[in-house]
Amino acid sequence: MKHSMTRLHRSSIAGAVACVLAAAATLPAAAQTSPTGPLTAWGDPDIAGVYALYTTAPLERPEQFGEREFLTDDEFAEIERRRLEPREFNFESDTEPGTAGDVHYNLDQFALGANEGVNSPNRRTSIVTMPANGRIPAALPQAAARREAATARTRGRQFDGPEFRSLTERCIVWSQTLPPLLPGGYNSNLQIFQSPGYVLIQGEMGDPRVIPTDGRALPENLLPQWNGTSVGHWEGDTLVVETAGFRPENAWRGSSDQLRVTERFTRVDEDTIEYAFTVVDPETWAEPWGGVFPITEMDSVLFEYACTEGNYGMANILSGERAREREAAAGQ
Amino acid sequence: MRIVTRALIVVGSVLAAAAVQAHHAFATEFDAGKPVALRGKVTKVELINPHSWIHIEVVGEDGTATVWMIEGGSPNALVRRGITRDSIPVGAELIVNGYQARDGTNRAVGRDLLFADGRPLFFEGTRVSE
Amino acid sequence: MRISTAGFVLVAAVFCGACASDEADGDTVEFPRAAGGQPDLSGVWQAINTAHWNLEPHVPGYPVLLDLGAQFAVPPGPGVVDGGEIPYLPEARAERDRRFANRLTEDPEGKCYLGGVPRSTYMPYPFQILQNEDDILIVYQFATGTRRLFVDGTDPAPLDSWMGWSNAHWEGDTLVVEVTGFNGQTWLDRAGNYASAGAKVTERYTPLGPDHLQYEATIEDASVYSRPWTIRMPLYRIVDEDFRLLEFKCEPFAEEKVYGHLRKPGTEFPEEVRSQ
Repeated sequence: MKHSMTRLHRSSIAGAVACVLAAAATLPAAAQTSPTGPLTAWGDPDIAGVYALYTTAPLERPEQFGEREFLTDDEFAEIERRRLEPREFNFESDTEPGTAGDVHYNLDQFALGANEGVNSPNRRTSIVTMPANGRIPAALPQAAARREAATARTRGRQFDGPEFRSLTERCIVWSQTLPPLLPGGYNSNLQIFQSPGYVLIQGEMGDPRVIPTDGRALPENLLPQWNGTSVGHWEGDTLVVETAGFRPENAWRGSSDQLRVTERFTRVDEDTIEYAFTVVDPETWAEPWGGVFPITEMDSVLFEYACTEGNYGMANILSGERAREREAAAGQ
Repeated sequence: MRIVTRALIVVGSVLAAAAVQAHHAFATEFDAGKPVALRGKVTKVELINPHSWIHIEVVGEDGTATVWMIEGGSPNALVRRGITRDSIPVGAELIVNGYQARDGTNRAVGRDLLFADGRPLFFEGTRVSE
Repeated sequence: MRISTAGFVLVAAVFCGACASDEADGDTVEFPRAAGGQPDLSGVWQAINTAHWNLEPHVPGYPVLLDLGAQFAVPPGPGVVDGGEIPYLPEARAERDRRFANRLTEDPEGKCYLGGVPRSTYMPYPFQILQNEDDILIVYQFATGTRRLFVDGTDPAPLDSWMGWSNAHWEGDTLVVEVTGFNGQTWLDRAGNYASAGAKVTERYTPLGPDHLQYEATIEDASVYSRPWTIRMPLYRIVDEDFRLLEFKCEPFAEEKVYGHLRKPGTEFPEEVRSQ
């Protein structure tokens, strides 16, 4: 049922037009294609849901695969066998007591281990598919120079106060929730919520991106934001999102504030979205790179992730360092 | 292949080894050289982000009671599995093995959290299946 | 969203099939409608009042830090509480007064903590409502807060949270939202008014006109108040062309306030981060 036409939304008009044209003669291949999959009530492709980002393929292609993008049937069968093997929660500590590695809560205890038991099956040898070797290109020299300058600015001051600690410790931003979305350690889940003219995308531990889908261009003079600024449009069944205007402090994978990310979300079956992305940053990589992987719908909702509100950890880290300094001073 | 997270379907751990991407380096907050083994009754449960904190009252040999804060993980996956704020009742007795805060205060990261009868916290037994 | 109010009226006249008109029913409000006939609350909205300073009627007041002067003095406001005053139990009113006296250190807003409900509605920043045929999602500019309203939802809150757990349903043209599962750590305004974790907030969003909603929130909390009480205010649609919420991640700005006492002795807040 169509959204009432009391409000002019380009997407709802496009949806209406698309439905009309689909019933008419076929369009030339080069023209904008009509969506073929399930639609929302107002005629946009339906990609809404809660999705897990975990997948069996690693981010970068292991060297033994060379330029081979896909697994053989035998290789895939083995990966699938291991993916589907039931696993018990492991409450026995398998790290060495008294070592830094043992100083951690048990992920399984909080059901955060093993990707919450959700791994999208994946016939590819890696997430990265561009360049052809499936590996992220080497960074340009200026990226290393930026990193060294940033390190030099804060050398010896990382525990003075909160300002020079990591963005995750400061509860500012988790890089795994920024575009492009890549699987991370835990809570690597995503919500996509649609309403006429907008798509909201929010990583479980991240901020909401409210993305207009009317095809507007990214403004030239973007106010830098931690999450950048996103605009979107529909191409057939695919939501295409362009994001730029990141704050330089993000330095996602060493990138600069020139980072631009293109994402493509396409529903491929009733439980799966294909997520593809391209990364461009002429100040960090000589060539664009990108990849693709499936994300699988979870029958769930994402619970609130209020980070700074519960950030006892920052206070504890700083007070721990103050105690260590006092001990060191007393010992001398 | 819809993932129904109410059922606890756990899959192979060999895949895409989920490196422990901690919110922060725990070794800066807690001391690997200060292991603790605590036993006490729950006084407060904070199932919060970025880390849960369970408060237990530990009674020493001399009878004095001290409240310890025990750090755990994000509760978001627990919520997906039906855990609620009532899952750890106030007054329940817990056993905690972990490491004490570097600053010497009564805080610890809970390496293992058990009920007094030895059952691991949140999930009955060690095998989880439909 | 690229429409001006004039364009809306024109479009409504030309395309209006299912939209409300005042032909047959003089009381029906002209407002965008969703496919199911209920109001479509989608859009960017903001309250224009001093409720975020103080829900109760208030004369102008000194800034919490005198050096801030008139810029950050408290402006006067008629209050938004039905009946004028919040019906605190006596000991709760004393607690409210204690919070007011300690607001500089204790108000969670200053720490960049989520505003909760209903405070997030009338904080002086815009928020965006996204509505589809199943659910509603609200995004608040302050601290990038979000809440999902489960339309016809009945599940209880699994855990406490800052923004609460919202189950909503339509009563005619009014969206009624029942919010529970609060953690008790939010305030209702900058004057120390508060509710406990046991509070139940019932919001009502009702169209007044194409660009106006009426917002009501009834707060029940027997441990704090002698009876339920209600606030009421209009919400104004932001009609700026192509308006978008900007990101207001206030965490860095609260760090010195929250963690400054743990700074390494002999060091100071690094002024260079201010320009970032």
